[in-house]
Amino acid sequence: MSTLTALARALAAERGIAQPICTVRHVHVSDRPLVLIPLALAGEANAPLAVMVGADRQSPRLIVVHQPRNRDQRFAFAARLAGIVLAHVDSYRTAAVVTPEVGGQPAERDRDAPQIIVPNPAGIGFIRLLGRSTRFRRSTGEHAVDPVVPVLGRWLTFFAERSEYPGSCLLLAATEALALHWASGQSPVEDLNLAALLGWIDPPPEMTGYEGAIAAEDPVIWPPAGPATDPTFDNEILAPLIAACGRSGVSDAVRERSRSSLETALSAQLVPTWTLVWRAIELLRALPAAGRLAARWDADKGAFTSYAEFLRDGGPPQPRRDSAVAAARRLNWLERTQASYAAQRALDDPLVLADYRLTGEAFGGPVTAAEPDRLDTAGKRRKLRPLITLATEDPIRVEPGAVLVSPARPGQSARVVSVSARSPDLPGAAPGSGAWSPPNAVFGAEASRPPAEVVLELSGGMGRALTAAPGSVPVVGERLCYTTLTDSYQMHGLFPAREETPWTHGGPPPEYVPVDADAVEEWS
Amino acid sequence: MDKLRADVRHAMIGGDRIRAKEKRAELRDVERRWDEALARLGDDPQQAADAGARAPSPSAAPSRPAARSAVLLPVREQVHQALTLLGAPAAPRMIAAVHEAFYAGRLVSSRLTSLRRDEERSFRAAPYARPYYLCAALTADLLSPARGLLAVSTWPMDRRIIGPLSPRVDYLTAAIAVAEQLERITDPDPNARRLLWRFAANIPRAASSMRSMTPDVVANAARAELAVHMDADSAHRTAAASRARSQLDDAAQLFGSGLALSRQADSSA
Amino acid sequence: MRNAVNDLEARLDRIRGAAAPRNHNARTIAALTSNPGCARRAIMDAAGVDKQLLASRMGFPTKFGQSQFAIGRGNAFETQVKAGGCAELLRLLREHLELSIPEVSYDNLDEVGGNTCREVRHARTRALLARATRSDQDAGTLFDHPLLRLQVGGRPVYLEPDLIAFRLRNRFFVVEVKSFSVIDGQADGEKVAAAAIQSAVYVMALRDLLAELGLSPDSVADTVVLVCPENFSNQPTAALLDVRKQLTVLRRQLARLERIDTLAELLPPALTFDLRLDEHGIPHRPVGELTSDVRTVPARYAPQCLASCEMCFFCRDEARGMTAALGREVRDELGAVELVQVVLRLADGSLAGAEDQAEAAAILRAAARLRSECLGGAA
Repeated sequence: MSTLTALARALAAERGIAQPICTVRHVHVSDRPLVLIPLALAGEANAPLAVMVGADRQSPRLIVVHQPRNRDQRFAFAARLAGIVLAHVDSYRTAAVVTPEVGGQPAERDRDAPQIIVPNPAGIGFIRLLGRSTRFRRSTGEHAVDPVVPVLGRWLTFFAERSEYPGSCLLLAATEALALHWASGQSPVEDLNLAALLGWIDPPPEMTGYEGAIAAEDPVIWPPAGPATDPTFDNEILAPLIAACGRSGVSDAVRERSRSSLETALSAQLVPTWTLVWRAIELLRALPAAGRLAARWDADKGAFTSYAEFLRDGGPPQPRRDSAVAAARRLNWLERTQASYAAQRALDDPLVLADYRLTGEAFGGPVTAAEPDRLDTAGKRRKLRPLITLATEDPIRVEPGAVLVSPARPGQSARVVSVSARSPDLPGAAPGSGAWSPPNAVFGAEASRPPAEVVLELSGGMGRALTAAPGSVPVVGERLCYTTLTDSYQMHGLFPAREETPWTHGGPPPEYVPVDADAVEEWS
Repeated sequence: MDKLRADVRHAMIGGDRIRAKEKRAELRDVERRWDEALARLGDDPQQAADAGARAPSPSAAPSRPAARSAVLLPVREQVHQALTLLGAPAAPRMIAAVHEAFYAGRLVSSRLTSLRRDEERSFRAAPYARPYYLCAALTADLLSPARGLLAVSTWPMDRRIIGPLSPRVDYLTAAIAVAEQLERITDPDPNARRLLWRFAANIPRAASSMRSMTPDVVANAARAELAVHMDADSAHRTAAASRARSQLDDAAQLFGSGLALSRQADSSA
Repeated sequence: MRNAVNDLEARLDRIRGAAAPRNHNARTIAALTSNPGCARRAIMDAAGVDKQLLASRMGFPTKFGQSQFAIGRGNAFETQVKAGGCAELLRLLREHLELSIPEVSYDNLDEVGGNTCREVRHARTRALLARATRSDQDAGTLFDHPLLRLQVGGRPVYLEPDLIAFRLRNRFFVVEVKSFSVIDGQADGEKVAAAAIQSAVYVMALRDLLAELGLSPDSVADTVVLVCPENFSNQPTAALLDVRKQLTVLRRQLARLERIDTLAELLPPALTFDLRLDEHGIPHRPVGELTSDVRTVPARYAPQCLASCEMCFFCRDEARGMTAALGREVRDELGAVELVQVVLRLADGSLAGAEDQAEAAAILRAAARLRSECLGGAA
């Protein structure tokens, strides 16, 4: 939460409609996302009840478990779901594309990757648990399951693990994707309700966001997006229907009717959410894509290809717990990726960068002076080093010598030569916003400052000649932002190879050998 | 019907249980008539006649194919069979599990919940008319019926007493009985081994895995722990049994004290 | 002294009205202490008001029911853990608490010879636990469904932990059986946290009971045994939870919970939340009057209320326009300014703000300027 997004929420509350907090879209939306809406039975660890799934808004497929506590039926459900999910995943394993990798080694990668979209983070949790409960099963022996079931488990686990990486879009939760781009007029915890959040972003006609969200909270009209079902639904409708399906000694026709009643009831719980998720997809697609989005999706495609090849070559299911080295590596990777992802969004989106302008990690304003032809004659060769002066009202926290970058010219770096206070009466001062003259924000114990002037020395991104290529040097009057943020690639954390795990971390982990216990794990 | 369902749920949400009950009753009524109408429309009358004789559908748990109606005993006989094998008071779930492991025919534990009450009524109506009754086990301190346990009336009083150590002692006794039965039969049902494993997992040094489990080792381990509790438990039981015999009438000795009167009071209210 | 207590009881009875009081339990006490500044909730819970019915009468029904599947599963799991003289539980306690083999004694305090009256059960619980600390032979090990008592806001509340285990000549342990699963050694953090604080309530109550018997608080362990299903099965596994932090928080919050008598004294004597239920349980109290009485007692709404209190929709509606309704993080980022209106006017410069708001105002103005720069007219 930042002051800007908090302010946006206040504005939304006041205006009765959600306010944008991004100007571009920072999540990838596939042309053919696989939307998956799960429902689970209350009280169990992972007892699937029903799922509505499909890549085409007009044709959802419904899979229902009539006896959610029956083990055989659970695995039959998993097999049917596997049929759909694996077909979708496999459809992306087509013509490969050769890509040049960083470090020089070309690699093959699928042209595109599948994307799964669930309504909310609890849906991701469902996928993670379903993956866990199926990936160790065996297709032979005493508790045999359909061979597609463990394959489904491994893929679901892959998607769930990948969703933890900042910037990854292989598995998305609709509420999270929406909340990244819009601020509603309610609290963040209420944003977890997809219907309420969409009530703010896309209110029904004649309603304010607030009224739309309130209407969305009636579970009888708008069923919860799941996987949890509403308790009154469970008690009044679901329980009797499940009991009816479990009755023995009835004719086939009666049994069929019971099943179809159950399916109708569950479908009624799922269809509204199905509609909402597709609406969310539509709203996201309407936003222009951020610049660095494609590169992040490329990384996702790479991960997808790697995993598909790993499975093809007979790789074992993901272990239950990370080994010490894997855990440390994962943590390091998460930290680096989080920083890089945040920086990328800021560089792609002025509204996100604005957050950093409030904290002093970025500043912006008009160029008030420029020396585009300045040369640095100090060294052996003469180098083109233009100078520009930028005026800003933002609080400055950079020191001379700091190296900055501008989103407008990512290939160019700017070294701070000097920072000085500026009289507010000088021409070219920042345009006033009203009759009053705003003092600068006061941070910590710093004294109030008038608007500042920063002199920057530019290098790079201008071509090889000693005169800059046209447009590559800022001109007077141009409004620019500069920031300390970069999304440059950072060194891998150096970790010992698996087999060299130091004894302080338990020594080298044993090779994972699937064990009987994994396959026969009891289900309640 | 949808509107009625919505009404019920809204009523429950608002905490208005009375209205919810009304609407629910209406809903059940409409649902029933709807089902009947569909049935008349869709069912072949011949199908309806066959319904009773039709084999259970795949979603019901499969019973052993050999066990057909000929061998089915009444519920009280099945319970008596299982309890006799166990030799100690037991809860309905345990009784059902033992029965499934060793005897033909299904015994559903939910049918046992009213058994004790039915047996008491039968006894009071005609005392000792039947060769045995399924009765209660009495708590040692207050001689009241222990919750959720069934016993056999022909057992001596102190076998039907529950002192503080008796639940554990009875559990170990049951384990030994199951182990010994398993040794006796040549082709045990897989449920029987599973049942024994559930005991063995909770008895020290009885077995390290279901695969490696052997009934005699389990029985010995149970006996070893039993020896620790036996004397103290017997002392409690003997004392309580003699109090029961001197203070309680026949019905109370079987079904516990204090409850018969209050139940009568309730039924007249 | 006696009169003061009687007065308070009488006052609370009047506030509640004719209906029977609803009981506190560990969960509601734990939730109460997470928002101790809410006088409305404190009074309603102390008086035993049916908040769900009240909220519904005022036009703000909430759905705080529980699914029968969850209840059923919970009961089934607890039954399984305690079956056969607590066979599974004994295995876990022998492992985690190092109970010795002879320690298997079981006492059921669910009813006393058919009598389920609370006072009787509580007396028997006291008697048995007292005997445990004094005796060697008949100390007892497992106490099932014990009934404890805790003073909350000046009133006694009856509490029922799942089970108490006593290690001979040593101390008591609270045992909580929950039906959420532990998968690969990990469980849902929120659920574990909730279980921890509820268990801490039981630990406090047990300590109070033993203190009345002249025993030190150390005779109750500050670790609690949590029993849960393992992975995807019904097999129980156990973990020891250290609840010292929760105990500190609870003690502090319970003390801060303004004594109900002072709160009650401040209320107009005619104030009541009586719904005037008729013989069918239908409320007839005029809504306007009821709402006005409810509003007289101040609340302190926060989004967390949505997960824990049946009055949440009413209070949320009342809190519209306050930054607290947007959550504490948002409120803090807005410089802790209370009203949304004020925030926006500080941001657009139409309000200069008080002296202590100068810093917040400056940041808000800068934020507004930046938004306007990025979004143009659409800001």
